[in-house]
Amino acid sequence: MTDTTDAAPPATDGGDPPDGSEFGVGEQNSDGPRIEFRGGKWMSTVPIAFFILWAVFQSGILGVGGADGLVIGALIGTILGMFFVRGSWKAYADTIFEGMTQRVAATAIVAWLWAGMFADTLQVGQFVNGLIFAADALNVGGATFPAAAFILCGLLATGIGTGYGATIAFVTLFFPAGVLLGANPVLLFAAILSGAVFGDNLAPVSDTTIVSAVTQDADIGGVVASRFKYAILAAVPAFVAYLVMGSVLPGTSLEGAAELDAAAAGLVHLVSMGIVIVTAVAGRHIVEAISWGIVVAVAFNLLFGLSSVSDILVFTVSEAGTFTSLPFVAVGETTGVGGSLYTGATGFFPLIVLTLLIVSMAQIMIRGGGFEAIQTFLLDRVATTVRRAELTMVLGTATINGMITINTAAEIAIAPYVARIGEKFNINGYRRANILDANTSALGYIFPWAGGVLVGYQVMVGPDGLGAEYGPEMVVNPIEVVPYVFHGWFLVAIFILAAVTGFGREYIPDRVSEEVSRA
Amino acid sequence: MSVFDKFLAGWSFRGSRPDYAAGDVLEVMVTGEGDGGHVARIGDSTLRIEGAPEDAINTRIIVDVESWDDSAHTGRATYRKTVGESAF
Repeated sequence: MTDTTDAAPPATDGGDPPDGSEFGVGEQNSDGPRIEFRGGKWMSTVPIAFFILWAVFQSGILGVGGADGLVIGALIGTILGMFFVRGSWKAYADTIFEGMTQRVAATAIVAWLWAGMFADTLQVGQFVNGLIFAADALNVGGATFPAAAFILCGLLATGIGTGYGATIAFVTLFFPAGVLLGANPVLLFAAILSGAVFGDNLAPVSDTTIVSAVTQDADIGGVVASRFKYAILAAVPAFVAYLVMGSVLPGTSLEGAAELDAAAAGLVHLVSMGIVIVTAVAGRHIVEAISWGIVVAVAFNLLFGLSSVSDILVFTVSEAGTFTSLPFVAVGETTGVGGSLYTGATGFFPLIVLTLLIVSMAQIMIRGGGFEAIQTFLLDRVATTVRRAELTMVLGTATINGMITINTAAEIAIAPYVARIGEKFNINGYRRANILDANTSALGYIFPWAGGVLVGYQVMVGPDGLGAEYGPEMVVNPIEVVPYVFHGWFLVAIFILAAVTGFGREYIPDRVSEEVSRA
Repeated sequence: MSVFDKFLAGWSFRGSRPDYAAGDVLEVMVTGEGDGGHVARIGDSTLRIEGAPEDAINTRIIVDVESWDDSAHTGRATYRKTVGESAF
């Protein structure tokens, strides 16, 4: 189907069209290479290539998760690249600063800090316990437990924005309950991972959602609204598949009643979550949207007794004094600041540092000519039509996420290529962001070495894990889970079909993203 | 665009060769050069642009479509103003 546009200028939804100069990119990148490398422009890819190899070795081969280790890989890679520079190293060093000060990184960082505070405040506010109450009230049995887990974990992940956090919470609290009720452990774990994929993909406060939007010049609210169609088309058959397979696959022979730590009041955070989603989709600044979410979540926590003040913010001092009577000052062995606002924000610090380093490595590649060389190869040899360009974006994102299992890091690394390849065919920023994030979210929770699978598995096999508490029936081999992460597989399949058929495709002239500063 | 419209946008199959008409005002990304002017490739359709700045490649510009050939999926447009740049 082909369309003809109206004569009127494209709507900008009330705001001026995004100005690329806000991001500190584009203008400077149009210059020729400024850094010369021994061995040619391909050597400018050494820092990021080293980082990718490091990430594959750390997360894929050794199974070590977490962004902290990747930071060291990025630092060493950056130092390594310097030895291949011809002439003065000053331009190389300056480019590190140039990359780190790009607006694209700062926008993501600000959104992460706010999202982290909101997510942790929901967690201390017994949101999970509220979801457990819902499952209990709906009288969910062993056969239907996986389907319920998919929906409820999806809700939690959409609220707190972190699929990893939702996976840990659900494997800790929901998984043993389901297995004891007779659900198949493999299917139940896979259903939880599917819920994490759903939330990671759709939540406006998700780190991957934020990265996908800001790297493609699109506002976060608009991105969430535009990807709903793909998410729901994958989620509905996934839900049905969990219902069917829940009846087919047998449960374990564990006996005993599940101890459900349920709290109905925790469900009030569906409102906190809804406020963030509605205000973000309505086009309000993401900082404003999440700030309102934080205010409401804190109010609900205190009003309904879901958490104490010190669960949200606490100063811990070593000795009692004048201020220790205050609800946010406590006496403890180690002094410091704590609470959900603190842990929520600081939890993103490693990822923030990693993002700055990856963006600076990408800038080195741009300045050295390596970025253009790869892009030219892809555009000349692979992405020669819009259909092939979209397939390249889908499969390229899936491949890099299959290798680098900390999915946000993989997403940041592939984002510049998705942007440039898409722009060369005038593919809309919303569409590019959706291709980028769907495959990032899905692949981060399917394979045995994926970060999302590993965090859940760790809960089972850790020193005080489920295996130690309940026995080996409560431990799932990650490789068995692969075929059952239905939502992840369906999401990838839908994007391959969408690239081939043009479903959901939008071009830049069709619709202009709102300002990215309103991200 | 309303919140509801944002959720409904894109529920369709879009062709790889979109067509436009003379008189359309479009925002496009300039994707290349050719025949002494600039080119915006929109999907697998091609819009030739006259009057754009020399360094217009990888910038987003507003153009007036002057003519369009539905059979060849190509058209000609004139530059109006620059409104943005590439995301990277």
